[in-house]
Amino acid sequence: MESETPALQPIKPAYHVRILEDEQLDQLQSATLEILEQVGIQCPSEKALQIYADHGGLVDFSRQVVKLPRQIVLEAMLHAPRYYTMGARQPSFDLKLDGKALYCATDGCGVETIDFISRQRRPSKKDDVASMARLTDYLSAIGFYWPIVSAQDFPKTAPLHEIDASFNNTVKHVQSETVMGEWTARYAIEMADVIAGNERARRQRPPLSLLVCSIAPLAQDREGLESALLFAGAGLPVGFMSMVNTGSTAPATIAGTLVTGDAEIISALVLIQMAYPGAPVFHSLMPGIMQPRTGDYQSSTFEGSLLYPLGAEMAHRWGVPTLAGVFGTDAQVPGWQSAAEAASSLLLCALVGAETGSGLGLVESCMLLYPEAVLLDSDVYHRVRNEAAGLDTSPEAIALEVIKEVGPKGHFLAHRHTRTNLRQRLYSDLTGQPNQGGGYRDPIEVAREKANWILENHHPQPLDEAQKDELTRILKSADRETGH
Amino acid sequence: MPTQYPPLEPLRTTYRLRFLTDKQLDDLQSATLTIMEKTGVKFPSKKALTIFAEHGAQVDWESQIVRLKPDLVFKALATVPRFFLMGARNAGYDLQLEEGVTYFTMDGCGVETIDFDTRERRPSRKEDVGVMAKIADYIPSIGFIWPMVSAQDHAETAPLHEIDACWNNSVKHVQSETVMGEIPCRYAVEMATVIAGSREELRRRPQFSLVVCTIAPLVQDTAGIEGALILAEAGLPVGFLAMPTLGTTAPATLAGAFAMGDAEIISAAVLMQLHAPGAPVFHSLMQAWADPRTGGYVSYSLDSRTRYAPVEMAHHWGMPSLGACYGTDSREAGTWQGAAEVALDPFMAGLACADIVTGMGLSETYTLLYPEQIIMDVDLYQRARYQLMNLDVNEETLALDTVHAVGPGGHYLGQRHTRSHIRESLVRGVTHQIGEDGKYQNPRQVAIDKVDWIRKNHNPEPLDIEKQSELRRILAAADKEICKG
Repeated sequence: MESETPALQPIKPAYHVRILEDEQLDQLQSATLEILEQVGIQCPSEKALQIYADHGGLVDFSRQVVKLPRQIVLEAMLHAPRYYTMGARQPSFDLKLDGKALYCATDGCGVETIDFISRQRRPSKKDDVASMARLTDYLSAIGFYWPIVSAQDFPKTAPLHEIDASFNNTVKHVQSETVMGEWTARYAIEMADVIAGNERARRQRPPLSLLVCSIAPLAQDREGLESALLFAGAGLPVGFMSMVNTGSTAPATIAGTLVTGDAEIISALVLIQMAYPGAPVFHSLMPGIMQPRTGDYQSSTFEGSLLYPLGAEMAHRWGVPTLAGVFGTDAQVPGWQSAAEAASSLLLCALVGAETGSGLGLVESCMLLYPEAVLLDSDVYHRVRNEAAGLDTSPEAIALEVIKEVGPKGHFLAHRHTRTNLRQRLYSDLTGQPNQGGGYRDPIEVAREKANWILENHHPQPLDEAQKDELTRILKSADRETGH
Repeated sequence: MPTQYPPLEPLRTTYRLRFLTDKQLDDLQSATLTIMEKTGVKFPSKKALTIFAEHGAQVDWESQIVRLKPDLVFKALATVPRFFLMGARNAGYDLQLEEGVTYFTMDGCGVETIDFDTRERRPSRKEDVGVMAKIADYIPSIGFIWPMVSAQDHAETAPLHEIDACWNNSVKHVQSETVMGEIPCRYAVEMATVIAGSREELRRRPQFSLVVCTIAPLVQDTAGIEGALILAEAGLPVGFLAMPTLGTTAPATLAGAFAMGDAEIISAAVLMQLHAPGAPVFHSLMQAWADPRTGGYVSYSLDSRTRYAPVEMAHHWGMPSLGACYGTDSREAGTWQGAAEVALDPFMAGLACADIVTGMGLSETYTLLYPEQIIMDVDLYQRARYQLMNLDVNEETLALDTVHAVGPGGHYLGQRHTRSHIRESLVRGVTHQIGEDGKYQNPRQVAIDKVDWIRKNHNPEPLDIEKQSELRRILAAADKEICKG
C-alpha cells in the first residue's frame, strides 16, 4: 500500500556567520589562480585537454598537464549559475538552491552493511541501496538521496543498479557519486530521461545529478571528467569534490590544503563551463587531515570540522553552490563519537549558507552502514535545524498576559496558552521515550526499532509500471553489454 | 612536587553570531520591565523588602511582592559593571572578563558518584569534590571551579566543606552554587578572606563567587537572596540563575519563558545594586522543558533553539552572562545521547560570547558524576575552541612553493614544509588516540585512563599550611554553629 512521503524540513538559518574575512578569501582565491596558472593540473583525457586548448588553456599534451591563465578561469566561471533547481520525482520535493536553505543527503558510498535482520557485517548489495532509499524517503531530514552503499552484487554495472534502486524507492532527487566513464554515464542519463519524461523536463527539473572526485594533488580522473561532460551536456548538475589530505596529498597547513583542493575543483568547473556555458555545477571541498602514524584520512579531528564550512565559503566566493561535508564520522559504531563529531560542523555549514550537504548514515569514515545510524544522524540534524531557526518574539510568544494571570508562585499547567503551545514544542522521538517501569529507553535501541517500523510501513509512491519496465530494460541492456 | 601549570585555554571567538535582533532584544526587555512593574516578584525576606521600600519600590508587605518601575530598574542597573575580575589563588589564573573571551567551569551540584575505584554508584561526598577539583585544576579548558557534587558527609555545612575541598585542590577561582543563607555566606566570605589574605585584597581580586537560583515563577528564595546580599556587601560576584520550565513554571513559549526568567534575575540584580552599588553581578537563564507525558524535567528538547539567546539578553542589560552548556539527560557517560544533546553547546556559547559558562561533567540531568565525563566534555569544548579560532592565511600556510615543488600527482610526505607543520595539523582528541594494537582506542576508555593519570600524577600547588589550618578552624566553628540543631 502506498504511503505519503513526509514534507522536507531543510535547515533555514535565521542568522548567518562569516568565518573568513574578504581579505582572507581573496588570498585563497589568488593562490588557487596562481596554482592553476603556474603549476597546472594533470588531466588524462584527450577530450578534456582539447576543450581546454580550444578555450585558451595552455595544454602540454605529452604530459597531459593544463595550465590556466587567470583571466581564462575567471571568464569561464562567470558562466556558472549561482542558483538553480535540482528536481525530484515529485515536484514538491524539488530542491531550490537559492541560498536560503541547506538540504542534506545520505552518505556514500559504503561497502559494508550491518545486515538489517541478522545484524552481521557483510558486503553491501543492491537491496541495501533500495531499503535505505525507502527508509530515508520517510525522513524529513533527508533532502536528496545518495546511494548509500555499493550494489556489489552487480560488479560491472553497480552504479546503474544503485540509481535504479534509488529511483524505485524514493520520490526525492538522486545524486550519484559512482557513475564513472562515458559508457556508464550514457545509460545513467537515459535512466534520468525515463524519470523526467522528456529532455525539456530533464533540463528544467533534473532528477539526477553527479558528483565526481578529483585525484589529489592536482589531478583529474579521466573517467570522472568524461562522465561529467556528458551529464553537463544533458543539463544534469555535476559537482567536483576534492578530498585532499593535509600532509600527504596536500601541504600540512590548512590554508595550503584548501587551495590545493580548490584548484582541483575549479579546474574541472572551468572545463565544464568551457564546454557547456551555464551548465549547473557545484563545488565540494572536503579535505581530511592525515593521521601521521597510519596515513589515514581523518575527517573529524578538532580542526577538521572547520574545513567543510570553509570549503563552503570558498565555493560562494567563486559564485557557485556547494556540497558541504556533514556528518561522516570516523567512529567505528554509532555512539558518543559519531554525535560528538557531527553537530557543530553541520551548524556552521548551515550558518555560512551551504546549499547542500552529504553524509548522514555511515560510520568508519563513510565505509560502513548501520541502518539505525541515519535515524540518529537525523535527530542531530533536527537539533541543528531548530538551533538555526531563530526565536519567535511575537506577543503570543512573549505571553505577557499569561504571566500576569499566573503571577508569582503559580503554575502554567492548566492555562489555555500552555495547552496550545506545548504541543508545538518538539521533542526527540529517540531520546525521552519513556521506559516501562520508569526512566527513558536507550535511544539507539529506539532508532533500530524505528528503522524497522519504517521499512515495514513506508511504501512511497512507486514509479509507473512503464517507467519501471523501461529502467529494467536499460539495466538489462547495460548488463548484457558488460556480459553480466 | 606541584605540577607545572599550563596556561588556560579559554574560547576566543574570532567571528560571532547575533541570535536576536535589536528589536527582539528591546521587546524582551520591555516585557521583563512590564512583568516587574505590573505582576511583580515575590521576595520572602524582610531585609530585601526593606531595601526595596527604602529605594522607592512598591512593596506589598503582606504578599511580599515587590513591583519595580522601569526608572528604578534602570537607575539601579546603571551601577552594574559589564566586566569584572574573578580572582584566583594563583594570580596567573585570575579571570578578567572581557569581550570575545569565554571561560568554562564544571557542572554542579550532583548527588551521586560512580566511585573512582570500585565504579559502584554511591552518594557523593567531600572527597569527590576534592578529586574533581584536582582534575579540573589540571585541565586548561577549565577556567574556574564549581564543586561538582554535594559533600553529603557534612550535612548542613556541606556547601562550606565543598569550597574547602576546592581551595585545597585547585589554584583556580571557586564559584559555589550551594552556599545559602546569611550565616553560611558569612562563613564563606571569611574563608575567601583567608585565601585572599585580607578583605581589601578579596574585594580587589575576588577569589570566590556565588550562584543563587530563583524560584519560578517570579519568586526569590529567602536564604538565597539574603546570602547574596552578604556577598554583594563584601564585593564578591553574585549571579542569579533562573530555570523556567516551559509549560509548568513558565509559559510554553520560549520568548515568554525568557521574559519571565529575566524578570526573576533582574529583580534580584536590582536589589544587589540598591544595597551595594557597583557590586559585581551576573545573569544566568537556563530554560528547560516539561515532558508532557511524564512531567519530567527535560534539559534538551529537540527544539533547543536560541539556547544562548539569554546571553544576549544579559549583555543587553549590560551584565556578564553565565551560560549553560552540557547537562545531558543521558543516564550514562559516553553515550550517543550524551554527545547528541550537548555537542553544539560550547560552540554556540562561544559564538554568543558568553562570559562564563557552566556545565562540564555530569550526567542524568546534573545529578550523577561519572569521573570520565568531564574529559569527554572537554573534548567537545576543544572542538569548539578550534572552530572559533582564526585561520592563518599567509605565505607560509598557503605553501605555494611547496605546491609548485610537488606538482600534479605527487605527494607531500617528503617535504620540509610537511615536516615542519604535520605535528600541528592533527590535533588529537579522545577519539584519535592509538592503542598498543595500532588501532584507535574507545574514547570513553581513553577518558577513564586520563582521569586515573591525573589523579595519580597531578599535584596542585598546595594551599599554605596556615591557610589550611585557618579554613579548618572556620569549618569547625561553622559545624558547631550551623549543625547544632
